[in-house]
This record gives sequence, structure tokens and C-alpha cells, in this order.
Amino acid sequence: MSSRVFPRLAVALAALALTQPAFAHEQVGVAGGLASGLLHPLTGMDHLIAMVAVGIWGAQLGAPAIWVLPITFPVVMAFGGVLGVLRIALPVPEAVIALSALVLGAAVAMRLRLPFAAAAVVVAVFAVFHGHAHGAELPSSANPLAYGVGFVVATGLLHLCGIMIGTLTRWPVGGRLIQGLGVVIAALGCYFLAQSLGAVA
Amino acid sequence: MRYRFARASIATATLVASAQAADAHIVASRLGDFYTGALHPLTDLQDLILWAAMGVLAGSLGASRGRWLVLAFPLGLLAGLVLGRASGFVSAGPAADAGMILLLGLLLAAAVRIPTALLCAIAFGLAVMRGAANAGDLGPETNQLLYAAGLVCAGYAAITLTMAATLAFRRAEAGTSMAWRGIAIRAVGGWIAAIGIMMVGLALAS
Repeated sequence: MSSRVFPRLAVALAALALTQPAFAHEQVGVAGGLASGLLHPLTGMDHLIAMVAVGIWGAQLGAPAIWVLPITFPVVMAFGGVLGVLRIALPVPEAVIALSALVLGAAVAMRLRLPFAAAAVVVAVFAVFHGHAHGAELPSSANPLAYGVGFVVATGLLHLCGIMIGTLTRWPVGGRLIQGLGVVIAALGCYFLAQSLGAVA
Repeated sequence: MRYRFARASIATATLVASAQAADAHIVASRLGDFYTGALHPLTDLQDLILWAAMGVLAGSLGASRGRWLVLAFPLGLLAGLVLGRASGFVSAGPAADAGMILLLGLLLAAAVRIPTALLCAIAFGLAVMRGAANAGDLGPETNQLLYAAGLVCAGYAAITLTMAATLAFRRAEAGTSMAWRGIAIRAVGGWIAAIGIMMVGLALAS
């Protein structure tokens, strides 16, 4: 077994070491735009936990939320993104984003079973605010299209993470674990809310 | 075992030590413009997103509807290239491209059962648009026949492979336990639509 692994490993290493950079002649900013777009939702802790919480809550609610969410959330978020691009200001964006982590974390912790329409409205309002924060950065990016691709993909993958974590609810212990995670997310949301309102430095 | 590992390590070290930049001579020779035409759309994010979206949309509708695109899409690219060259009409502007991304994304996300004729019309229209856009970088010294052949081949390969991959991904959707595959394809549509919405917003803002 291991005698077969080593040559393959060696070939793989060689293949890696022998790679040459691909020179794309046009669209100089693609790599930069893509990287900043991908990292934007990941580097803000408040965004990150809220997006994961959305996925977990969707998984807790089960069908149809678990499949409507990944399809419609990016579209609603993009509307917020357009508001950000057009520089239309939303009221207290930082506080609402922190609030979204608090509310979604609490919903996960309490296994809140809202009617589907009500849950969709809650998530949609927060989606607009999250999209706004990302969209505001878009026009100044090295390549707006690449930035847009990056941040939509990163957000979608965060939802996927949440949905994956949320499938733990199939087991009783996993369900408890997820409720604990919801408490952590809500607590972090509290902290970010206090921070955005100036209560904590 | 140890002997073989040592041999593999030596071979690896030799390979790594002898790494050289590959000078692809063929690009500079007569057939170079074929590769220019083939690579031009593949190094453009706009083309990549639109072509992939078109392929996934056609693939999600099934082989009987999608297979017409194998012909319609490359021919549309050729028509667009010729049109762009003859009339000097190169691009319908960023808003048109963004609107097309949005349209394809929404059709995919909503899982609309588009009739075959409409699907072919959309694909042909998109191909004409992108073919004309690719005519923009044709220099006076470019061999136009080779460039067109490269572009059409790239379009044929890209659209056929994307459709085939999507079909293969969906075909495994035999039981209800695999229904997530259909949802995954629609979620990709949601992502594409989101990108389209923001690009439309940006095009209208600037």
C-alpha cells in the first residue's frame, strides 16, 4: 500500500513544483478583485457568524426553508448590494448586522419555529443589510465583476457550512450542540451590537 | 519499498531541479492566431460566467433540449464575430452583458422549463453578443480565419462540456435522496442572478 503511495506522492509533488504561473493577458485586476471579494464576507466576524447562523436555522426549519434559502438569499442580498453601489445609505448598518447575528443566533438556540413566510422576511431584511455592506466596496474594487463573483461565492459557501452543521439536528446530541452554538453566536452578536453602539471600545 | 522510494525521490529531485519555463513555440508560429482566438474568451471573466451559465441552464433542461446548442452556440459566435468585424459594432455595453447574466441566472434559479426554440434563440443571441465582443481585439495583422476557427472551437468545447457535466451531475438524481443535486444547480442560478443584479446596478450607476 505505502509503496504505491510514495511514488504517487512524489509525482504529485513534482507536478506542484513544476507549475508555472498562467499569464492572463487581460483583466489585470481579476485576481485582486476575486480575492478581496472572497475575503470580504470572511474577514468580518459579524458577517461570518450571521451567515453561518442563517444556514443552521434553515436546516433546523427543514423543508422548504433549507432549499429556498440558498436559492433566494443571494438574490435578495444582491439588492442590498445594488443599494450599496448606488450609495443609498441604510440606517445604522453596523448595528443591524450585529443585531442579525444576535437574532439569528437566538433563533437557533431556541429552535424558534416561525412560519416559513415570517422566517423569510426576517432573513430577507438582514440579507439586504449584509449585501449593502459588501456592495459599498464594489465600485472601488480592482475588478468589480470579479469582486461580485467572489463575495457571492463566499457567502454561498458560508450558508453551505451552516446547512452542513445544521444537519447534525438529525441526532439528539447534535441538536443540543447546535443550540449551544446558537448561544455562542447570539452572545457574539450582543458583543458586536454593544460595540457598534459605542458601549464597548 | 525503501529502494523504490529512494528512486522516486531522486526522480522527483531531478525533475524539480531541471524545471524550465516552457517556451511554447507554436503560439508564435503560423497557427498562433488559432490559439489567440481560442484563449481570448477563456481569459475573460465576462465570457466565462456567461458561457458557463448558458451551459448549465441548457444542461439542466435535459439532453433533448440542450443538444441543439452544440451547433447553435458556436455558429452564433461565428455570426457575432463576422458582424462585429463588418459593422464595427463591438459591444452592447456593460448593462447588456449584466442583464444577460441576470436573465440566465433567474431562469436557472426558477427552474423554468423553457421551450427548445426559445432556449436556442437565447443561446444564439448570447453567442452573437459575445462573438462581437471578441471581435474587438482583432488586430490588422491577425489571421481572421484562424482566429474565428479558434473562437468557434473554444465555444463548441466549452458549451458541450458544461452541458455534459451538468447532465451527468443531474442524471444521478434517481431517488429523492439525491434531490439536493437539482437544488444545488438552482442555487448556482441564484448566485449567478445575484452577480447579474449587482452588475446591472453598477452599470446603471456609472
